[in-house]
Amino acid sequence: MGQVVDGLIFTAAQAIIVLLVSPFVVGLIRKIKARLQLRQGAGLLQPYSDLVKLLRKDAVVSSATSWLFTAAPYLIFVTTLAASLLVPVFLSRVPLHFAGDVITVVSLLTFGTFFLMLAGLDAGSAFGGMGSSREAIIFSLTEPAMILSIFAVGLTAGSTNVSTIVHQTAVTQGIITDPPPHLMALAALFIVTLAETGRVPVDNPATHLELTMIHEAMVLEYSGRHLALIEWASALKLLLFLTLLSNLFFPWGIATEPEPAWMLLALGAWAVKVSLLAALIAMFESMFAKLRLFRVTDLLGVAFILALLALVFFYVFRGA
Amino acid sequence: MMTASHPDLGSQLVNLCSMLLLLTAFAIVAQRRLSACVDLFAVQSIFLAVTAALVAFLTGIAHIYIAALLTIVIKAIIIPVILKRIIERLNVQREVSFIIGIPPSLLICGALVILAFWVTAPISRLGFLLTKDSLAIALAIVLIGFFMMIARKKAVTQIVGFLMMENGLFLGATAAAYGMPLIVELGVFFDVLVAALIIGVYTHRLQDTFDSVDTTKLTGLRE
Repeated sequence: MGQVVDGLIFTAAQAIIVLLVSPFVVGLIRKIKARLQLRQGAGLLQPYSDLVKLLRKDAVVSSATSWLFTAAPYLIFVTTLAASLLVPVFLSRVPLHFAGDVITVVSLLTFGTFFLMLAGLDAGSAFGGMGSSREAIIFSLTEPAMILSIFAVGLTAGSTNVSTIVHQTAVTQGIITDPPPHLMALAALFIVTLAETGRVPVDNPATHLELTMIHEAMVLEYSGRHLALIEWASALKLLLFLTLLSNLFFPWGIATEPEPAWMLLALGAWAVKVSLLAALIAMFESMFAKLRLFRVTDLLGVAFILALLALVFFYVFRGA
Repeated sequence: MMTASHPDLGSQLVNLCSMLLLLTAFAIVAQRRLSACVDLFAVQSIFLAVTAALVAFLTGIAHIYIAALLTIVIKAIIIPVILKRIIERLNVQREVSFIIGIPPSLLICGALVILAFWVTAPISRLGFLLTKDSLAIALAIVLIGFFMMIARKKAVTQIVGFLMMENGLFLGATAAAYGMPLIVELGVFFDVLVAALIIGVYTHRLQDTFDSVDTTKLTGLRE
């Protein structure tokens, strides 16, 4: 009985933590980027103010849209939140680990993206359709790379369950366990993160320039609380990917047993790792120009090949 | 299935560094701008020097340090500077031109790496060396460099492919035999430097004759 209660408490705690922290990460990336470009930049808490403002406002829904348009933001938000509950944040075995493995995580995210694409098409505006079609190209290329790179790490741990992978890797010291395949998988997953969360070499989150936008084009018709939910969901997705990167490859400090002091320490370690990754993304965004849409396949091709090689490497040298 | 039985840290670090070399090789293949190719080559050479220094530290063989130092000086500083000069003087278009486009190139390179893994697996199984994964990675880099020389038209990218092959060979020598005798290494470094210079001169001639460094135009030469 006590275990069930503990599980509920940990799950609720993780939900609250990721919900509260995710807008901060977005603000942090913007701030670091602004400082790198010698601008003052908006405050770190700006995304919170934006969310509050949007949540207070009424949503304007075009009369040309179907029920899908209003349902999509809620679906996207809920699926992204559910996916982030399956990824270990401070405890290496999340209480919900029985509910699904890495394929579940990816499929929940896919579900959200699918409805976002449908919603983009639903309003019948030219931009929405364009955004959806671009998202479909990119998503179909990133998804295999994402699954393969997590599998490559999963092979060392002997499981596809994210919790088990993180637990095993935490027990055996992270990326140092087996550098060659892990490093390839890490590089692949990092590229996937940039593409999936709409970061600079692939998409620019800071602009509404019609020629280049992908994510922004799909959500162009949204306003008010619907927009708030979609923005919040994409912040959650960003945090999910950063957590995945840090805890799959560098699970140092994560609590492998549910002891309060250790979990607090793990929370601190997680915050440091996620902030460092956020800083890295901000650096990337400042260093590189956005790729032309048809060049994005080169970048995603690298991710796919690296993830595939990580798997092959494991089978040739470690398997059998 | 389980392999994560707390392996020795030193050998893991060597593996990590040699893997970084392979990652930069892929970055070079996926790169379209000539100057970025040269920069990435310099980065790869630095990783190579770090790997060599690590091997030197772990085995206590002093002359590998000298080789690492020479790698930094020649491959990470002098040769990139020469190549940058060539690029500047030629005023070449920044885009690399391809015989094989980037996505198929990446697939071919992936296949080459798998081939390298497969070929070296029986040797690595013997596994008495500190650096058993590095041998596979070294062969993979040699093959990728070779492929670069075949699949690119511009002379400058062909030089980068050649130099990348040399990096792979050096990594292989360090990994498989803890380095060659110092005199051989010195000879190789000198060779590479001279080769880079000669190819540089040749590239200039190519530019003067054809107003381009596209090597496919050489087939149009008549007496």
